[in-house]
Order: sequence, then C-alpha cells, then structure tokens
Amino acid sequence: MQIRESQIMKIHYITAIGALFVVAVHILMRLIMPFDMSLEYGNVIANYHNIPYAILLESVLVLIAIHGFNGLRVILLELRQSKAWEDGVTILTIVAMMGVIAYGTRTIIVANGLGFE
Amino acid sequence: MLQWRENTEMEKMSDRNNREGIKGWLNPGRFGWERVAYWLQRLTGVGLLAYFVGHIYETSSLTQGPDAWTAMLELTQTPMGHLILLLVIGMSTYHSANGIRLIFTHGGKGLGKPGRPDYPYDAASLNYRQKSGIWIALILAAAAMLYGASVLFRGN
Repeated sequence: MQIRESQIMKIHYITAIGALFVVAVHILMRLIMPFDMSLEYGNVIANYHNIPYAILLESVLVLIAIHGFNGLRVILLELRQSKAWEDGVTILTIVAMMGVIAYGTRTIIVANGLGFE
Repeated sequence: MLQWRENTEMEKMSDRNNREGIKGWLNPGRFGWERVAYWLQRLTGVGLLAYFVGHIYETSSLTQGPDAWTAMLELTQTPMGHLILLLVIGMSTYHSANGIRLIFTHGGKGLGKPGRPDYPYDAASLNYRQKSGIWIALILAAAAMLYGASVLFRGN
C-alpha cells in the first residue's frame, strides 16, 4: 500500500497537535509540587502506577516518536533525493521509531508493575 | 540512444539542483527571516528528537530500582543538566509556536492574496502575518526559558 506524502503530512500535523496537549499535562505533573520533590523515586513510581497517567505517558511516547522520526525523515529527504536514499531513510526511521516505542513501552509496563514484579 | 541521452541529461540536472547540499539548507542570507525560521524549526526538531531519545533512556533507570534512579538524577540534576533542560524548554516552545504557524500556512491561512508581480518582486506570502508569527514564537520561547529558569534554579 502506497501512502501519499500529503497523508503523511496530515499525520505529522495531527501528532503534533496531540503531542502538544499530552506533553503539557506531563509537564504540569512536574509542577503540582516542588520540582525536586516531583522527581523523587516514590513520587515518580506513584505516577506510573496511576493507570490514566500511564496511558498518557504511552500517548506521549507514540505521538512524539511518530512526529519526531517523520520530521527526521522529511529533513533527510530534503537534503538528497534518489530512490535508494528515500527507501533507506524511510526504512531506517520506521525501524528507529519502533525501537524507541518498544523500549519506552517496556519502561512504562515494568514501572507500572504490570510486568516483572 | 535517445533514452540514454535523456537519462544522462536528467542526472546532470539532478546534480545541479543538489549541488549546494547542506550549505544551501543552512544559508539564511537569501531568504530573510523566513529562512531563519525554516532552519530553526529543523534544528530544534533534531535537538528535541535527541532529547526525547535521551529522556527515554534516562527514565528507563526507574525499572532498576531507587538506587539506579538516584544515580541517574545525580547525573542530570546538575547546573549543566538544568542548562540543557532550559535549552530544551526554549526549543520545544519555539518548535510548537512556529509549528502552529506552519500548520496554518500550509492550510493557506495568512498567506495574503496573489497579486501582479511588480518590482521588487516581494512574495505576497512572506508578509507581516508570517513575520509576526516568527517573532511571537521567538518571544514565547524566551519567556518560557525565563519561567523554566525560575523553577529550575529556585533552590540553588
């Protein structure tokens, strides 16, 4: 299935607007108490045990990974154009995006306690 | 033979179009503030992606227990770590505000009406609305960095 570049740009903009909202909530969670205190192990783990917040973190992870790696793909395609380069860049960014999402999801699952406790 | 000649010509044209490479991408001289906004959007994007990957690695230390988390915090919660975080705050604010301007622009909003090309051939699309958007993004980034500094360095 061939996805048009215009459709990819729509996804790019939708993930940008979505990320703006979820990242704002993520940052606000660091500001509802003194910043240093919010980073203490107990407080951070308590955040991860909160299921709605864990879902929000997963949304941050997925939205920013898609937006960020597609942005990188666009930059690399602007620098140089050839079939091999474009295919290589697309495959590389998709693999990197999936790797980052998988690694971040693992952290959320384990820290949430759903995993290997 | 004709096809081969056409292909060679195409390759030559392709080479000519790409001959500036990354220098052309970074050159802000020919296009004014819009070009500066263009490469700031890309540089902040790459910077934020690098921070995002680093942040995911940093938070993964949570899974190894409190000692690993505290050791990671000792690395990042330093004056240098806070300066990097300030830079990230500035980059993310600029990238977001300028990105919203670009979403509107790509949707055809704020471009102005096309007119007759008269000397000195200023593009109607590069108007005060676009320039205001760029300045608003820069001012918001500076304000966010000031607020960030007040939170991060309050205790120091």
